[in-house]
Amino acid sequence: MTSKQLLTVKGLQAKVDEKDILKGLDLDVKPGEVHAIMGPNGAGKSTFGYVLSGRDGYEITGGEVVLDGKDITEMDIEERARAGLFLAFQYPVEIPGVSNLEFLKAAVDAHREAQGLEPLSSKDFLKEAREASKKVNLPAEFLKRGVNEGFSGGEKKRNEIMQMLLLKPKLCILDESDSGLDIDALQVVAEGVNSMRDGERSFIVVTHYQRLLDYIKPDYVHVLSDGKIVKSGDASLALELEAQGYSWLAEMREADPEEMHREVSE
Amino acid sequence: MSFWLDQALAQAELSNDCLAEHRAKSLEALRATPWPTRKTEAWRYTPLLSLDNSVIDEPNDNIDYPGSPEGVELIELFFVNGKLQSNINVAVEGLTIASLDNLNDEQQAVAKTVCQSAKPSRHLFGMVNDVLAKQGVLISVADGSDIKPIIRLVHLQNGGQSHVRHLIKLGQGAKVSVIEEYRGEQSFVATSFSEFDLGDDAVLNHYRFGLQTGAAKALAGCHFNLANRSQMHSTLVSFGSVLSRLDVDINHAGEHALATQNAIYLLADKELFDLHSNVEHMQPHGTTEENVRGIIGDSAKAVFNGRIHIHRYAQKTLAELNNRNLLLTPKAEINTKPELEIYADDVKCAHGATVAELDNKALYYLRSRGVSEQDARIMLNFGFINELIEQMPAEPLCEWLQGELRTRFGDLRTQLSVEG
Repeated sequence: MTSKQLLTVKGLQAKVDEKDILKGLDLDVKPGEVHAIMGPNGAGKSTFGYVLSGRDGYEITGGEVVLDGKDITEMDIEERARAGLFLAFQYPVEIPGVSNLEFLKAAVDAHREAQGLEPLSSKDFLKEAREASKKVNLPAEFLKRGVNEGFSGGEKKRNEIMQMLLLKPKLCILDESDSGLDIDALQVVAEGVNSMRDGERSFIVVTHYQRLLDYIKPDYVHVLSDGKIVKSGDASLALELEAQGYSWLAEMREADPEEMHREVSE
Repeated sequence: MSFWLDQALAQAELSNDCLAEHRAKSLEALRATPWPTRKTEAWRYTPLLSLDNSVIDEPNDNIDYPGSPEGVELIELFFVNGKLQSNINVAVEGLTIASLDNLNDEQQAVAKTVCQSAKPSRHLFGMVNDVLAKQGVLISVADGSDIKPIIRLVHLQNGGQSHVRHLIKLGQGAKVSVIEEYRGEQSFVATSFSEFDLGDDAVLNHYRFGLQTGAAKALAGCHFNLANRSQMHSTLVSFGSVLSRLDVDINHAGEHALATQNAIYLLADKELFDLHSNVEHMQPHGTTEENVRGIIGDSAKAVFNGRIHIHRYAQKTLAELNNRNLLLTPKAEINTKPELEIYADDVKCAHGATVAELDNKALYYLRSRGVSEQDARIMLNFGFINELIEQMPAEPLCEWLQGELRTRFGDLRTQLSVEG
């Protein structure tokens, strides 16, 4: 390894409900890079994000995951978050009765505590939160509402990006953050992400469509199929996939599984 | 029979006040009522042994007064160990507040009509209260009067026995907000009953904060009569104690009346809380919405019996009753029984009860943002309750109560972190 890795995933295997979903996934992400992971439904794209985040029921059965030099596979969900991992959900959950503001402050303070910092004063936090909500085009009154309560699909996604802005993670995983968004909302999400690109922070953009990648330019594009990355390339691969679809994957498997794996390991 | 009841009745002075007739009637009924056993349906899960078995603390005047909600105009009356502490001095147009032991002729006439009008005679401790309650207030709001200040009746007790009765009458189109607040954790007995009689088009905002806990033996009731187009919005918050029982009756005696009731209970240790709620739809076009939520920790026990009875002529009734419970430990217990009894054929009704643990998806979501599991559990439990608190019409009251509940949640902290 010549330069520092932010994330190293080696031979990652995971199962959900006794079913193997990830079957030896390899991925290296250096600081500042944007990686897109594409692939057909059921390939394990969302599972990958959940496994990295430590969600219960997503059991790692083999391989390793190292984030910023630390093995995170044995860490609790909240420890991974504090270590700098952030997963923007495809379907953020609604939590009525818990105000967005209270939740965000608890999250920010937990991050600060992990870094040996004092909790923010309510006033300072409110200022930060207002700025962040403005950046993602959410009215400040959304801060007072229950977490995602009654938010539209687009508002939920923007709320995810707002959390990302406040928590300043090292690695952001966007799980289909484009699904169900119109072009305007898509741009807001993309702008939020792009505004956080600083040469250090890295992104894994999981998406089914090429569309989002028009706005968030990836350095690498990977194709995930049947729990493994089967093809990697630069941004042009995404365009290729958009044109061809994923049917070639099945043909490739049938033709010569050995060949396919050789290509991957290159 | 109960030793406690014998003693209590023996000490009752037969006074000759305006409610004497009511007392005599209830005394007679009480003597004919058998003391509840485990086989008595209304008391099946709530043993009364502690009334006979525990030593009652001596009451004293050394009592802490709780803080007041800020940002809202209040008329506050304090009852310490069952006795009203100060003179009532209220100068608000359209509002009369008078101590039950000091009513003029006109007020006596009102008291007589309200007393036992909304409260059915079947409640055992209601009858006890009928006989023994000499303290309490009559609140009367004149037709069309919109009373801005919130009336806060604070009851503090640290020993002995107290029997308090409040009678509240709202004239036609009258509007008023009333808080009943009860506190204390020592070994004492309190029977606290209140009756609300609403005129046509009247609007009542009602809050009952039953914050007694520990060794308190609290036996209480809130009873409401609704007339044509009248509305009540009631929020009940209860902690548990060695014995804590609340009976609620809502009577739709007029058409197009609306009742919303949000009830919350938060129990820890070996506490018990029992809520029996009964809604009578006797007239058409009535609406009732009842949301009852509880969090039960340790080896505490909650009982909820919620009945909605729709009479034959009460067509076009809309009624919903929902009870949700979170159990924090394997030993926590809820006995819940929602009941719908419907005799009309054109009504819309729903009822349900759930017992659950925290939503794992929500827990995961909060933790994925770095919030510790313990804090996330507290947040979710609080949110479960807070959803109902936020529906209270007075926002400053909301904030004040959230503070009170956070303290209680602080006490529950270690249990909230227990794996569901």
